[in-house]
Amino acid sequence: MEWLANPASSGGLAMRADWYIFIGAGIAVGIFVYACIVWCLIAYRRRGARAPAQFEENRPLELFYVIVPLLLVFALFGVTLAYELPVDRVGDPPNRIAVTAYRWSWRFEYGNVTTTGTPAAPPTLYLPVDETTEIQLRSDDVTHSFWVPAFLFKRDAIPGMANEFDLTPNRLGTFPGRCAQFCGLSHAQMTFIVRVVPRTAYVRYLATRGAALP
Amino acid sequence: MIGWLTTTDHKRIGIMYVVATMSFFVVAGLLALLIRAQLAVPENTLLGAHAYNQIFTLHGTAMIFFVIAPFGIGLANYLVPLQIGAPDVAFPRLNAVGLWLFVLAGITVFCGLATYGGAAATGWTAYEPLSDIVVGTGAGQDLWFVGLLMASISTILTAINLLATIFLLRAPGMTMWRIPIFSWEIVATALLILMAFPSLAAVFAMALIERHLGGHFFDPAYGGNPVLYQHLFWFFGHQEVYVMILPYFGIVTEIIATFSRKPVFGYVGLVVAAFAIAGLSLGVWAHHMFTTGAVSNPFFSAVSFLIAVPTGVKFVNWIGTMWKGSIELSVPMLFAIGFMLNFLIGGITGVMIASPPIDYGAHDSYFIVQHFHYTIGGGSMFALFGALYFWFPKMFGIKLSEGFGRWVFALLFVGFNATFIPMGFMGMEGMARRVYTYPALGHLALLNAVATAGAALMAAGVVVFALDVIVSVRRRAPVSDNPWGGYSLEWMTSSPPPEFNFEELPPIRNRRPAWPADAAPGDSA
Repeated sequence: MEWLANPASSGGLAMRADWYIFIGAGIAVGIFVYACIVWCLIAYRRRGARAPAQFEENRPLELFYVIVPLLLVFALFGVTLAYELPVDRVGDPPNRIAVTAYRWSWRFEYGNVTTTGTPAAPPTLYLPVDETTEIQLRSDDVTHSFWVPAFLFKRDAIPGMANEFDLTPNRLGTFPGRCAQFCGLSHAQMTFIVRVVPRTAYVRYLATRGAALP
Repeated sequence: MIGWLTTTDHKRIGIMYVVATMSFFVVAGLLALLIRAQLAVPENTLLGAHAYNQIFTLHGTAMIFFVIAPFGIGLANYLVPLQIGAPDVAFPRLNAVGLWLFVLAGITVFCGLATYGGAAATGWTAYEPLSDIVVGTGAGQDLWFVGLLMASISTILTAINLLATIFLLRAPGMTMWRIPIFSWEIVATALLILMAFPSLAAVFAMALIERHLGGHFFDPAYGGNPVLYQHLFWFFGHQEVYVMILPYFGIVTEIIATFSRKPVFGYVGLVVAAFAIAGLSLGVWAHHMFTTGAVSNPFFSAVSFLIAVPTGVKFVNWIGTMWKGSIELSVPMLFAIGFMLNFLIGGITGVMIASPPIDYGAHDSYFIVQHFHYTIGGGSMFALFGALYFWFPKMFGIKLSEGFGRWVFALLFVGFNATFIPMGFMGMEGMARRVYTYPALGHLALLNAVATAGAALMAAGVVVFALDVIVSVRRRAPVSDNPWGGYSLEWMTSSPPPEFNFEELPPIRNRRPAWPADAAPGDSA
């Protein structure tokens, strides 16, 4: 819940808006339908043996409750497009990191620096804050999925295909990341750490060829 | 005993389907309890990773292929000929083939447990290349593919049989627009099966060829593509979702109308909605693949939103059926209401994850686990218990107890919601599905403890149900032919019905042949 309320990337902020609109619409529809059901159960509970009126259709009403939900889902589709397109857009940022998933850890390549991990010692992915970084995602073996819950985002790593997407973290911090697509025995331990650092620290990390930051 | 094993009577076959699916339900439920026991506390070491992976794979496989889908089909086997006034199904021997192939399929899948390396452990989706022989388990995975191939053939045969029965064997007076809603939902379900299951049979055959004959369909090194597996699997898989819900929509419709003492509101709309759902479900499969980066997300998102409309129509029709009715809260009606309350949550979360920006966060997390359990568990499973209470008197001439039944409903309803409400929040806190262990981050420990307690309540509910069956069968309280005041033809024959169903066919002049004629002025058609 903490991550939904306070996502750590600009894409996350857009997706949070989408979540909130759908949660709001869902609660409104849910309360309306629940109220109708509860009303029926209270008002029309069987009392005595009287046979109720035997009506079975009401065409104008039936048309109404097809059109209203149609309008609602059109609106929700518009909302979806508005928030999906910026998240899916891939620019041409100067920062590029090649991320490769394999059973059961990750390899991060920043050009001249490469880090890998193991299930017991997960690797750390460094990202500069307030800058866009392009991730090129691949898999060495089976299908995995790169998931950072704090960014409200994941993308699959599929063998034979490269997936590219942009991440723009908007606050400093350390966030858990993990594989989301079931990939066998140690799937539960296929984790990594995301550290969002200032530009200077990011440059120092690359210059020292991966010597861990303090 | 030999009579039961060699029977071609649709009622006996239907009852054996129910008994077989309920047996698989108990096994799959015990597996679910093991899952919840392992996840009760963070960093638990009760089960190892490999044991856990087999358990969740078998739980999902059994609940989908050997409980929820075949129960609907088995109940249709029992009910459809009775509801349309036919002596049996169109192809009685084919029907027996379908049943025994289905039982054998389930046993085949579970036989994997006895192999070296254990049963299949790749989830019910068995994605390639994970399920390929290089990285998958050995014979257990093969038995899984072979078993489900058999199940798909069994399902296709039964679907053909039910369609032929409904189109060709209706009694005089039983026009298409007088068919009870349950049988209409079976028409839509059977058509969906005929479109979806060939895709399943094809992709599992391809997976077997990939494993043993060097198929390379899904291997990028040879020009294959792992995404192809997902397309073929989900083209089946998402229609299977509706195969697992449409019969239960029918069950709920019949129960609500009977216990509201009113005709089904918007009968034509309900039938059209069933076919709209079936038609649209052909175009939504890749919403399971939003995060692959390999499909047109807006297209599949839009069609997925649209399918909410006919589903919403059904909700309004159920409410319209209760509106100004005379509602009796008997046990079947309680389960129908539980179905509506739970399934609505499944529907709303379903619309949420049909929006890709939400799915990017929710996909493959416990949010998804919550969503589909609210549809299949909170929806179909509640309707399943409603159906058992509703039609048990017809099947066996014995009524189950109202007192026990209320306890079964209360335990299942409270237990279900306690188990699955926390899972949505687990997903938002970053818990992936199909993990056998998790760290004590955020509120994960508390949420999982509540979920496990809820599972225990559900188990108690199933135990009380078993007690109810035992006690009621021993007591053998006599029951009338139509104990609930039902409307459709099955209530106009004896309980249980005789061989070939009707001593004499009752006249069918409207949609409610069992409703006293002078009391049904509003009936049309």
